[in-house]
Amino acid sequence: MAEKEEFTDISGKTIKLSCQNYSPFCREFTISSAKLSLGRVMAFTCTVWLLAYTAFYLTQNTAVLSGAIFVTLSGMLLHIHFVKVDHETLLVVGSLGVQLSAAYASGRESTTFIEMSRIKDIVINEAIHMQTVIYYLCILLKDPAEPDGVSSVVPLFQSSKPRLNCLVRVYRSCQEIIGQT
Amino acid sequence: MGADSDAGASPAVPWRKVLYERQPFPDNYVDRRFLEELRRNIRVRRYSYWAVVRETGLVSQQLSCVALFLTLWSYMEQGNVGPLTLLWTGLGCSVLGYTLYEALGGGIDRERTRCADLQSAAVFMAFTFGFSPVLKTLTESVSTDTVYAMSAGMLIAHLASFPYTQPSLPGSLSLNAALFASVCLASRLPGTLHTFAMLSCALLVFALWPCLLQRLRHTAEWTFPWAAGMVCVCGVVGVGTLWPAGALLLFLALVILTLVCPLLLVRLQRHKDNIHGPWDEAEISDDLSRFLS
Amino acid sequence: MGQRKRVNVQSPVPCPSETQPFSPHTHSSTEIPHHTHAFNTSGHHGYLQSGKHSICMVSDFFYPNMGGVESHIYQLSQCLIEKGHKVVIATHAYGERRGVRYLNNGLKVYYLPLQVMYNQSTATTCFHSLPLLRCVFVRERITVVHAHSSFSAMAHDALFHAKTMGLNTVFTDHSLFGFADLSSVLTNKLLTVSLCDTNHIVCVSYTSKENTVLRAALNPDIVSVIPNAVDPTDFTPDPSCRDSSKITIVVVSRLVYRKGIDLLGGIIPELCAKHPDLCFLIGGEGPKRLVLEEVREKYQLHDRVRLLGALDHKDVRDVLVQGHIFLNTSLTEAFCMAIVEGASCGLQVVSTRVGGIPEVLPDELVTLCEPTVSSLCVGLEKVIARQRAGKVPSPAAIHRQVQTLYTWRNVAERTEKVYDHACRQPVLPLPARLRRLRSHCGAVAGSIFSFVAVINFLFLLFLQWLFPNHLIDVAVDASGPGGRWGRGFGKEESKDPIVARCAVEDTRRLKC
Repeated sequence: MAEKEEFTDISGKTIKLSCQNYSPFCREFTISSAKLSLGRVMAFTCTVWLLAYTAFYLTQNTAVLSGAIFVTLSGMLLHIHFVKVDHETLLVVGSLGVQLSAAYASGRESTTFIEMSRIKDIVINEAIHMQTVIYYLCILLKDPAEPDGVSSVVPLFQSSKPRLNCLVRVYRSCQEIIGQT
Repeated sequence: MGADSDAGASPAVPWRKVLYERQPFPDNYVDRRFLEELRRNIRVRRYSYWAVVRETGLVSQQLSCVALFLTLWSYMEQGNVGPLTLLWTGLGCSVLGYTLYEALGGGIDRERTRCADLQSAAVFMAFTFGFSPVLKTLTESVSTDTVYAMSAGMLIAHLASFPYTQPSLPGSLSLNAALFASVCLASRLPGTLHTFAMLSCALLVFALWPCLLQRLRHTAEWTFPWAAGMVCVCGVVGVGTLWPAGALLLFLALVILTLVCPLLLVRLQRHKDNIHGPWDEAEISDDLSRFLS
Repeated sequence: MGQRKRVNVQSPVPCPSETQPFSPHTHSSTEIPHHTHAFNTSGHHGYLQSGKHSICMVSDFFYPNMGGVESHIYQLSQCLIEKGHKVVIATHAYGERRGVRYLNNGLKVYYLPLQVMYNQSTATTCFHSLPLLRCVFVRERITVVHAHSSFSAMAHDALFHAKTMGLNTVFTDHSLFGFADLSSVLTNKLLTVSLCDTNHIVCVSYTSKENTVLRAALNPDIVSVIPNAVDPTDFTPDPSCRDSSKITIVVVSRLVYRKGIDLLGGIIPELCAKHPDLCFLIGGEGPKRLVLEEVREKYQLHDRVRLLGALDHKDVRDVLVQGHIFLNTSLTEAFCMAIVEGASCGLQVVSTRVGGIPEVLPDELVTLCEPTVSSLCVGLEKVIARQRAGKVPSPAAIHRQVQTLYTWRNVAERTEKVYDHACRQPVLPLPARLRRLRSHCGAVAGSIFSFVAVINFLFLLFLQWLFPNHLIDVAVDASGPGGRWGRGFGKEESKDPIVARCAVEDTRRLKC
């Protein structure tokens, strides 16, 4: 069973949080961002092509036009392959660990798994991001040398950047599972 | 004690400018004694007009010296004065000046002997004479305009950096600037002997004359205005023989410098508004170097 | 929940000791538990209705930098939190210390990544700090912006932005400034501009008030005098540490010209020649150390003049209690904390009569001298003679007298009234502000800064369009009426806390 809820990210765009309960010890959170909008792709392409056409008009060099086509195509490919994240998933399995994965718009997925023994806690933290201060969810990793210390921090939902109310939901669910173990 | 308390009610106890006591006044209370320790213009000096004029005389005569030097150079360049004439006059002047310098400095202990003075003069002369062909061709590859511009800049630097305030020998910057300017100008003269004569003359005007003038001020105060005045007149007349309009300009500049500027300084004093009070950083008045040396 | 023991969170202490103000809570493991209802939309507190303020202290100078302004901000904030106000501090990033941190009792500190230019003061363009400061002011729902120190460019920027955003402002001036040289003419003009629409100004002494009123051309009624304080529990006397076979003069100050170290260099040989049982204990570091070393070398006083070098604040007391007489040779001082600390440790205090020093201690506790070697020597010899004759009050008696004079609670109480007063005042709308700038700061500077104010306002409108206020998450209060710090530690409550932690975190971690 999956509950779906709508939230917004820090820049006000709609994101969807779906929460899948597999068992009391296993829960999956997926945050899907808005799809790549056709309008923006069109705007990007049109801008590049208009610029290229102006350059062509001034220089009478056809290489500019072919260059523009190449740039738009490769730009879009790179964007959907490396930048545009379609959805991010956080799979928490009590006593086993946490799996983070991000699916890019091209279908590429990157996944990391963190064992429960390395996790100290999951918390909501504040950071300065560009010119604002934002909340984000992160996993604190244990310092192997010092049991009480924190060696490093793994931020979650880096691309979708949900707002605090969404983070709080995920946080509470996570704490239920982690708290049981 | 808050900022908002009623400041109008005057309590019986007088306000004191202390922090260690809790007083029945609001924190933003302003007493009659507020700013009573404010002092204005405590370090303003009263200037007497003629004293200031005397001091500016030094500036004017230095300006005239530069004008005089340029006049001499101009005469040399046009060939109206031969280098030998200049050299002999220079020698006469320096002998005269040296005698005067010695006569005035009778009371002062000398570290140098006359022989040493003579020696350095001879060494300088010999070197200048020997190097004057080199100096003559030094700026050949540089265009004349550049040389003139450079000389003008250097002479202005000489005037600007001359130590007018403390009665001392010309500072190294001002002397070097002046000598550099004279080398530049001398290299544009027709012959090597001209160059040599010009450089010797520059040394007289820019290095030795200020020394003599300083001694004059030091020992025989009354002679200083006359000496300065004489230099000014010579400068104006000298320029006048070449370029009457320039002489007028120089005359005006000297008048403004010696008479109008002091007047402004004295008049504008009354507009001075310096604030002093207990917040000023204290100045250490003791001579602390005695503990260390 | 067992693994989350919060051993390091103390219950709120009245005015925590200044010696270790920040020690255990600056680690990344500091955590704040929150009740869930903090996130209800109805959780927005009407600060003014509750009589409490949401205060943002802004200054370039804060921990890890150490000094008078820094400890003033820290102690004042702690006492205001204790009184139920919400306090956050904004300062610039110090090296690796950037982002958001929590100190004792939920004192939240924003270390903003702003470029430092000179002497720990940030560069100012009047604009570039607006986005970050606006974000802080909005998310923390600030009602009063309190800027500290006229040397801090960030404080001036914050005053300017706060006025653009329509917030009430308070400024505390910690230093004295002359009027004579060109640099002070320029700084004073800037201060005039910066303070011309500040609601209330706080000075640390009456002399400082006179100075600030003159510098910034202010109405003296909006300037309050609230002295600094020292924590008397940190500076307790201990006569057993003294060496009774000799008389020790203690000096604790930075060894710089303004502290009159050159005078000290004159006093040492003079007095050491007259009194063979006299020795000097000098704590502090600075360029004038050379002077003291030269004096010590020349007069062969190695066994009698000890230079201790830089002291940690917590070690100051241990140095002070070793002496009989505390000597302060400052040439200028708005409010001298050092002499209060010295007296609190039970020492006889000898000081120069400059700045606000005569206001600080009653005559029976301090011997004031003119800032000359001879006057200071006379003063010191008088005190030495009294000390020899045993005619001085006991250190415990002096301590008892001093401990009630200056307390941070009193400072906080009086500052609270300043906030109340400032909050009742209207914030000038833009046209009125421009008129005031032009009428108050002179035609040229007034016009320039009116222009800057207009640009700043347009920049704010642009930012409000780009990141609307409703998209900025309201921060969870750590202190103040709805403060979550120190609550929810019971077992049943901690079932489900929202834990926001401050970690060593910055934008790089987020890979942006």
